[in-house]
Amino acid sequence: MRKFSLRTNLLIFLALLSAAITTLYPLFYVAMTSARTLEDYNKNAYGIPKFFTLDSFRILIENYSLGTAARNTVTVVGISLLTAIIFSSFAGFALAKYDFPGSKAMNWSFIAVMLLPSQILIIPIYLLLSKFELVGHLHGLMFVYIGTNIPFGVFFLKSVFSAVPDTILDAARIDGAGFFKSFFKIAVPNAAAGITTLAVLQFLGMWNELLYAYLILPDQSQRLLTPALASIGGRYTTNQPLVAAALCITAAPTLILLAMSSKYLVRGVSTGIGNS
Amino acid sequence: MTLPALLEVGPDKGPTFAGRVQGHIRGATLTQQKQRIGLFAALPAFLVVTSLLFYPIGYAVWISFLKTDGVTSKFIGLSNYANIFTEPLVHEVFVTNLKFLIAIPMVIFLGLFTAVLLYQEIWGWRFFRIIFFLPSVLSTSVIGLMFRSAFTLNGPINTALIQFGFEPINFFARANMAIFVVVLALIWAGFGYSMMILLSGLMSIDTDLFAAAEVDGAGWWQKFRYIIIPSVKQQLAFVSIINTLYTFTSLFGFIFVMTAGGPMYSTTTLDYLVYQKAFSAFDMGEGSALAIIMFGVIALLTIAQSKHLKNDAGR
Repeated sequence: MRKFSLRTNLLIFLALLSAAITTLYPLFYVAMTSARTLEDYNKNAYGIPKFFTLDSFRILIENYSLGTAARNTVTVVGISLLTAIIFSSFAGFALAKYDFPGSKAMNWSFIAVMLLPSQILIIPIYLLLSKFELVGHLHGLMFVYIGTNIPFGVFFLKSVFSAVPDTILDAARIDGAGFFKSFFKIAVPNAAAGITTLAVLQFLGMWNELLYAYLILPDQSQRLLTPALASIGGRYTTNQPLVAAALCITAAPTLILLAMSSKYLVRGVSTGIGNS
Repeated sequence: MTLPALLEVGPDKGPTFAGRVQGHIRGATLTQQKQRIGLFAALPAFLVVTSLLFYPIGYAVWISFLKTDGVTSKFIGLSNYANIFTEPLVHEVFVTNLKFLIAIPMVIFLGLFTAVLLYQEIWGWRFFRIIFFLPSVLSTSVIGLMFRSAFTLNGPINTALIQFGFEPINFFARANMAIFVVVLALIWAGFGYSMMILLSGLMSIDTDLFAAAEVDGAGWWQKFRYIIIPSVKQQLAFVSIINTLYTFTSLFGFIFVMTAGGPMYSTTTLDYLVYQKAFSAFDMGEGSALAIIMFGVIALLTIAQSKHLKNDAGR
């Protein structure tokens, strides 16, 4: 089943290559559009630009505070991701290796809310946050991201920590290692690849999130990148280089992350569906 | 795309660490102490989830019994539910949502097709694997805006149509065309994720099966039909469930940036309607009721699909 003949190989390769071009060309086109002037775009939208300019990026940062949006996004995603991973790994480790009363029930409660759609949560969460005057504050959104990312984090890390051999944990225990020592010195180093995978997946989820970010931070001065992009894209349809530049700023970090961590992503997508 | 698995939550394998240690070290107090440590380690995550997920779900149910704009509220019992079940717009939107399901067979077909080709190690398969997966790391607003720019009246697609002698099409002014563009975006952005999951299923097939089939003179189609399909049944089930969930709950980003639900309500999906009711019309009660009904529908669909597929696997 595995190999094709030379001719079939070539034909299929060309077919897949043209499919790959439909994925890559739009990205290339957006990148090129972002580096043109508006006049150049209006005269010659599809050719090679006469000269490249970073004007659209400058305008976005100076007039549309996209620099602030990027900084806010990094702050919110960074703190939420770190907190969610720490909470999830403690809980995942405890559920995997410490059989305490109620651990089964707790485990199921995490699984039960793992696939909860955000539409059911957004209304009560919005009302609760506004009651505590957290709407319009970065940490209001952080709470939401931490809360919504923990269930999958626990589920994922429980299976990761379960794979850490009991023998080495036992040995450490006999040598007098307590919870923290077993956790940091043995469990975490052994589960590093799994934790990285989870971090990559949840980074992408938070970075790309739109609904909560849009509703919980309504002020322009506090906006995150994705909602800022959505509103720029909705308002400035006649200035495509500007929209393209905003697309580049929003998409570049995720694409760079894909390039750097494709190994972890491939792994992360395939685990958790009971195939390992 | 970080949607996790709901299919396989297997039973715990083997004795746990604490259980084993119990055998090594005598004394119930030490076991109890360990159990307490475990509980304390898991507690913070549990408390966060309780206050930020469980409590809001209960609150959402309560809100659905109120007439409220977030400031003032009045208890009206089941009126919100009654309104939703009788409102023609909701029925229309539900049908629209069903139309978007067309994307799923396409996504699965393309995903399976490319997965098999990559499994057969076509030239450059590692490169194709990453390229086809690439849209999965992009935000729905990035993808939505790219498609919107491509399909606007004076965008690249219409420029190409004119070049080939066709009339330009105002895609977003016509209901079916707007749905077509969104479905196209769903397929373009979604098939790589399904491909990845199906590929991981293919990778675990015992290659001896193919060798044995070849000895028996099986052709490509027979191997596909009788070895590949049965082997990736579980992954196919997962992919179809995840994509159905996605179509009912995660189109908000696409609709928000591409069509804003229009023209009229022709691309408004259930999740977009929840947003509109709660945050444009400020009817939080009806929005909440709609979200709960929507959740009920997808929960039923998920259970039905996984039951059906489990029966299939047992045959």
